[in-house]
Amino acid sequence: MLVKDVMTRHPIMVPPEMSAAEAQHIMTENLIRHLPVVGDGKKLVGLVTRQRFAIKPDMMVSLSVWEITRYLSNLTVQKIMLKAKTGEVHTIEATKTVEQAARVMTEQKIGCLPVLDEDGVVIGILSEIDLLRSLQEMLGLPTKGVRVTMRMPNKKGQFAALTTALSQHDLGIMGIGSFPTPRQPDYYDMVLKIPEVTVEQIREILSQVPEQEIVDIREE
Amino acid sequence: MASTNGKVPGGPVLSVEDLAVAYKIRGGEIEAVQNVTFDIQRGEAHGIVGESGCGKSTVTWAILNFLGANGYVKRGGIKFLGQELVGRSSEELRRLRGDQIAMVYQDPMQALNPSMRLGDQMKEVLTVHRGLSDKEAEKRCISMLERVYMPDAANVMHRFPHQISGGQQQRVVIAMALLNNPALLIMDEPTTALDVTVEAAVLDLIAELRRDFDTGILFISHNLGVVARVCNKVGVMYAGEMVEVASTEDIYKNPQHPYTQGLIRCVPKLGSDKASSILYPIRGRVPPPNNRPPGCVYGPRCDYFRDRCREERPELRTLANNVQVRCHFAEEIDPTQWQPSDDLLPPKIRQNGGEEEYIIQVKDLKKYYEVQGSSLKDVFGMSEPRYVKAVENASFNVPKGKTLGIVGESGCGKSTLIKTIIGLEDSTSGKAEFLGLDITGDLTTRTEQLIQELQMVFQNPDSTMNPSYTVGQQIARPMLRFATVPKNQVRSEVIKLLNLMRLGANYFDRLPRQLSGGEKQRVGIARALASRPDLVLCDEPVSALDVSVQAAVLNLLLEVQAEYGTTMIFIAHDLSVVRFFSDYVAVMYLGQIMEIGPADAIYALPYHPYTEALLSAVPIPDPSAKQKRIRLEGTVPSAIRPPSGCRFNTRCPRRHLLPDGGKICETETPPWQEDERGHRIFCHIPRETLLTFEPVIQTKERAV
Repeated sequence: MLVKDVMTRHPIMVPPEMSAAEAQHIMTENLIRHLPVVGDGKKLVGLVTRQRFAIKPDMMVSLSVWEITRYLSNLTVQKIMLKAKTGEVHTIEATKTVEQAARVMTEQKIGCLPVLDEDGVVIGILSEIDLLRSLQEMLGLPTKGVRVTMRMPNKKGQFAALTTALSQHDLGIMGIGSFPTPRQPDYYDMVLKIPEVTVEQIREILSQVPEQEIVDIREE
Repeated sequence: MASTNGKVPGGPVLSVEDLAVAYKIRGGEIEAVQNVTFDIQRGEAHGIVGESGCGKSTVTWAILNFLGANGYVKRGGIKFLGQELVGRSSEELRRLRGDQIAMVYQDPMQALNPSMRLGDQMKEVLTVHRGLSDKEAEKRCISMLERVYMPDAANVMHRFPHQISGGQQQRVVIAMALLNNPALLIMDEPTTALDVTVEAAVLDLIAELRRDFDTGILFISHNLGVVARVCNKVGVMYAGEMVEVASTEDIYKNPQHPYTQGLIRCVPKLGSDKASSILYPIRGRVPPPNNRPPGCVYGPRCDYFRDRCREERPELRTLANNVQVRCHFAEEIDPTQWQPSDDLLPPKIRQNGGEEEYIIQVKDLKKYYEVQGSSLKDVFGMSEPRYVKAVENASFNVPKGKTLGIVGESGCGKSTLIKTIIGLEDSTSGKAEFLGLDITGDLTTRTEQLIQELQMVFQNPDSTMNPSYTVGQQIARPMLRFATVPKNQVRSEVIKLLNLMRLGANYFDRLPRQLSGGEKQRVGIARALASRPDLVLCDEPVSALDVSVQAAVLNLLLEVQAEYGTTMIFIAHDLSVVRFFSDYVAVMYLGQIMEIGPADAIYALPYHPYTEALLSAVPIPDPSAKQKRIRLEGTVPSAIRPPSGCRFNTRCPRRHLLPDGGKICETETPPWQEDERGHRIFCHIPRETLLTFEPVIQTKERAV
């Protein structure tokens, strides 16, 4: 799964000369939280997020009632955006993996990454929502089936044993994910989604797999 | 990306809301488009269908602000990527749309600059908008051309537009449109000017690009089959209004609006013929925008018209199955219970007479055009003369009162063949007899009586009619010229013909510009019939007409045939129309008849490999139909140096069935394989093997 498979293509973008009020209007109306700012040829120059519209308290103190109107009417996107030139905007290429993108976002504590091609042209945007959607898809949420969590020791051949057990009963896997068991080193939990089967069947098949245990099983 | 919960991320690319477009004219204004509402999501193809004059193109012009000096958006809004387009200055619009909306039109030659090399035109898009270097831009353009399956892409960059074929030109235009990765692609009849085989390849390409680039597509077409193949949502427009919006499946399987139902009844289904099925044209025509009826605009043409339709204008409402329809009685109307109203009489079909008297017999007819070379040797006439072999060894017979259909790609020699028969060209060699008289020479060698017996209906009635002669004069002229009717009866005879054409006596004094396209074509047919010919040659008589008019003209031709017993040779590129209309069909490729026989035999196993490819390319107005996908590689070879052996061997997808990868196809001319019904196939592959192919098209009702 690469960024280009998960991102939203053709995002809504604005030019830097647009007034901030209009940009805010666009964001509220289209229910979006991030707005890439692009110059000629869709090249990224900045990013506007909802927080950027907040006026800093110390600024408010210094503005009189009359000044506010003038201040706001002169406020353009250029003035409030995070600037790409100064490195305030983190971006990602479309060919990177989803986990790399997620890593940048968690490390920087940011909600979105504009996706650029090799010339710095915006071809999409990757937001938390896109990543969460890909998580659902990875675990096979849209389709009905049995979701089972297996705990297994961190050894070679464990996953093979699991899939062999399933394939012997002619069952397929439509979603899969694994993570290290919390507070239990040397163990891994694996989540599987198996369609067209009942909880009982899966319980019977998977309880036969040596060294592994069913942590959680449910229909979803 | 597949949406997980039915909601597409990021909102629609384009959202048109209650749009009304008006044109200012002398003494007021007219609303060409009213209350049009639709959305296009990312990666979605939204089709708009309807007859000409329904406002399909006006909608796209409104989106692009191409409305002209007197047009403006009167009400409603157009949102592109969440931002309103209506009411902005053109500079703001340019910036807003930037390079995010691209257009592809019907005629690729109008989008390409004829005096610039294709490479330079394409590179301009990148160097101007993106500021890329020339070299970088060139690399991008070549990879984009390869993406649209352009053969020899690097070389094409150095050519001029006229040096590549029409299908390739359209590919260049599409590649150019996609260079900037637009969010919205507007296509206005992009494949109408192309051959079926090329059209199929371009449509495949569009579907693929939509998937890969997540581009929203607004696809306008009058061809229901094309829309069924490309789009996942369809809006039907009538008289400036959206009358039905639904998924492609629903529109074709379960049309709700009477107009949609009427449109679908107008198109002949591939595999149906005139004996087993009837085309029902929609009566009347689209009302002009300044004279729309009160209440439901479709009312006067609707079979379910009631008082409420006259009094109350229906709103676009959403039915239980999520189909939007503008009709008061959509739930009550059951299209399967539909009965043609009294004024829609099915045409009489000529019964098969017992006599099999051939009216025209053609044997080994050849037509070569000499090519003038430009070298010194050519100028002095010392080099070998070279020829375009436009028609090679054509042999066929047409019985009296029957119809022979000729199909094939453009440039295959079908028009040359009928030009030779009618005498606009003389033939190079071979025999051609019409009622026992020799017709190998051109018009100068023919007697007046012979000329009178052979008449022609042309594709474009506009350019074959004298604009300053009235309808009556045009039809009367052949009568006077050939003296088939005494002078004092000419007028009554013309009116009789006009009545047969369902035009009426009041058309006698009208000028061609006062007629609609369908009416002009009827006058064209009437004129061809005026000299009471025995053989009428029709060169694409319905391809320029709307589907509902096409159905009416086809019915008319059938009626003429029943009434006068006229024999017809009928050229069309639409295989469903040919199948419907003809008794015999000939398939031509590069001047050679590849397969000829009774119509039902051509469209059923065994097929010639070329016929098979043609059939697999036909767009079918039924999204559930399964169609084999055979696409011919390369382009039609030059007729000056046709391939040796079988002319189709360079592109034949089936030659590997023969030993040695079909070596025999290159070295030897194929034999004619004939069965007892007179169905002849010009191919090396034995008939038994051809019979083992799977049928090309499988629908629920029938396999073709």
